[in-house]
Amino acid sequence: MVPIDVIAHIFDRLLPGAAVTVQLTVLSAILAFFLSFLGGFGRLSKFRIIRFVSAFLVEFFRGTSLLVQLFWLYFALPLLGLELPTGLVGILALGINYGAYGSEVVRSAILSIPQGQTEAGIALNMTPGQRMRLIILPQAFRTMLPSFGNLLIELLKGTALVSLITIPDMTFEAKSMRTNAEEYTLQIFGILLILYFIIGYPLSLLTRWAERRFSVGRS
Amino acid sequence: MSAEETQTATLEKEEETQGTEKKEEALPIVRYRKVSKSFGENQVLKEVDFDLMPGERVAIIGPSGSGKTTLARLLMTLEKPTSGTIEVDGRQLWHKEVKGKLVEANEKHLHEVRGDIGMVFQHFNLFPHMTILRNLTEAPVKVLGLSKEEARERAMGMLEKVGLTDKAKAYPANLSGGQQQRVAIARALVMRPKVMLFDEPTSALDPETVGEVLDVIKEIAAEGEMAMMLITHEMSFARDVSDRVAFFDEGCIQEQGPPSKLFVQPESERLQSFLSRFNLGEENSQ
Ligand SMILES: Nc1ncnc2c1ncn2[C@@H]1O[C@H](COP(=O)(O)OP(=O)(O)OP(=O)(O)O)[C@@H](O)[C@H]1O
Ligand SMILES: [Mg+2]
Repeated sequence: MVPIDVIAHIFDRLLPGAAVTVQLTVLSAILAFFLSFLGGFGRLSKFRIIRFVSAFLVEFFRGTSLLVQLFWLYFALPLLGLELPTGLVGILALGINYGAYGSEVVRSAILSIPQGQTEAGIALNMTPGQRMRLIILPQAFRTMLPSFGNLLIELLKGTALVSLITIPDMTFEAKSMRTNAEEYTLQIFGILLILYFIIGYPLSLLTRWAERRFSVGRS
Repeated sequence: MSAEETQTATLEKEEETQGTEKKEEALPIVRYRKVSKSFGENQVLKEVDFDLMPGERVAIIGPSGSGKTTLARLLMTLEKPTSGTIEVDGRQLWHKEVKGKLVEANEKHLHEVRGDIGMVFQHFNLFPHMTILRNLTEAPVKVLGLSKEEARERAMGMLEKVGLTDKAKAYPANLSGGQQQRVAIARALVMRPKVMLFDEPTSALDPETVGEVLDVIKEIAAEGEMAMMLITHEMSFARDVSDRVAFFDEGCIQEQGPPSKLFVQPESERLQSFLSRFNLGEENSQ
C-alpha cells in the first residue's frame, strides 16, 4: 500500500525535471528539424563535395552512440579549451544526432516524389527553387511527417540520457530521489514512466493531426 | 479508284499552297539541326534536322523506341542533346552566344528560352496537392507574374474550353484519366506557349475517355495559333489534325509530308509496313 501523499510528493519532486525534459525536447527538436533539412538537401546537392561532406557527417553521427557523443562534448571538449553550458551540450548532442536521422527522412521523401512532377514544373518554366518550394517539398513534407513523428518520440526518450551529464531532467531527478529513498524505487520509476507517457502521447496526437492536415488531395 | 486519286491530288495541292504561304511569311519557330542524342552506347537520335513553322501542326508517328519522345524532351529541356543545336524563335536553346562563340546554356538561359514551349505528358503529371484551379494558376502567378485575379480569370476561361469548370475546386485524384489530361492541357495552355508538345496524350487513358481528350486537342488545333508537335499512335487522329506527318524510325525522320500523301502513298517500305499495322493504312492502300 502506497500512501497518496507519497505519490503526490514524488510527482512534486519530478515536475521541475519534467519541465527540463520538455524544454530539452522542444529545443533539440527545433535544432534537429533544421539540421534534417540542411543534411537532406546537402546529400542531394549538385555539388559533389557538399554531397560527400553531408553524407560523411550524417553517417558519422548516426553510426556513433549518442551517449558517447554526449560524453565527448561534455568531458572532452573542455580539455580542448571549449567549455559549453551543460544544457547547451545536451541540446547540441540531441539535435545533431536526431538531425542526422532526420536528414535521411528528408532525403528519401524528396527522392520519393515522381520525376514527372519535376518535369511538369520544368514544362511550366518554373525555376529549380520554385519547383522545390511549390511542388516537391509540399508533397515530400507529407511523406516525412510519420517518420518525423517517430523521431520526435525517440528524441523525447533520448533526453533521458542527458541525466548522465548532470542535466537535472526528469530521469536525473528520479535517480537522485531514489538514492535517498530506495524503498520507494518502484513508485518513483513507475511515476517516471507515466510522466514520459504524458509528455509523449500528445506528441503522437500532434503528428497524427498534422498528417491529416497535410493529406489534402490524396484519396 | 480514279476519283480517289483526283481527290488526293487536290488535297495535296491545297497543302502545298498552304505550305508555301507559311514559308513566305515566317521563319521556323523551332529548328533542329543535326541533333543527336545517346543514352550511353544507345544512340537514340541520329543527326535529326527538323523544322516547325509557326502555327504548324505536325504529327510524329513511328514505332516504339524510335526516339519520338526523346525528340520532344530535348525541346522541353528535359533532356540534353549529345550534339547539334535547337533554335526556338531564332534563339539557340541549348547554347548561348558569348563573344561570338556558342557556349553551353545555363539554367538562366534555358529559363528565358523555354517559356515559348509547353508540353502535355503521357501521364498528365498534375500536382496532386493542389486543386485543379491552383494547378492552372500557380505557374501564371509565380512564373509569368500575373495577378491572382488575372490568373484565375485565364484559368477559368481555359477550364471552360476543356469543359471542366465544375471541377475547379476538386483535386486531381478525384478526376478520371480523361479529365486529368484535359486539365493538363489547360494547364499548359494558360502559359500561352508558341509551341505545344503532346507526347502520346491518350495512350495512358481508358478507351472510353480517349475521345474527349482528342476532341479537345482537335479544337485547339483548329484555332491554329500555336505550333503543335503531336506524338501519337492514333493514326486517324494524326490524319485529321495535322498539316504534316513525320514518320520517325531508328532515330531519324524517314519520310514526311502532308497526311493526304503520307497515309495514302507511303514511299518507303518501312512506312508501308508500319502503316499496315493500323486499320487506317489498310483502308487507304486498298
Ligand atoms: N532516360 C533514358 N535513359 C536511357 N535510355 C533511354 C532514356 N530515355 C529513352 N531511352 C531509350 O531511348 C530509346 C528511344 O526512346 P523514346 O522514348 O524516345 O522512344 P519513343 O519513340 O517515344 O517510343 P514509344 O512509342 O514507346 O513511346 C529507347 O530505346 C529507350 O529505351
Ligand atoms: Mg514515347
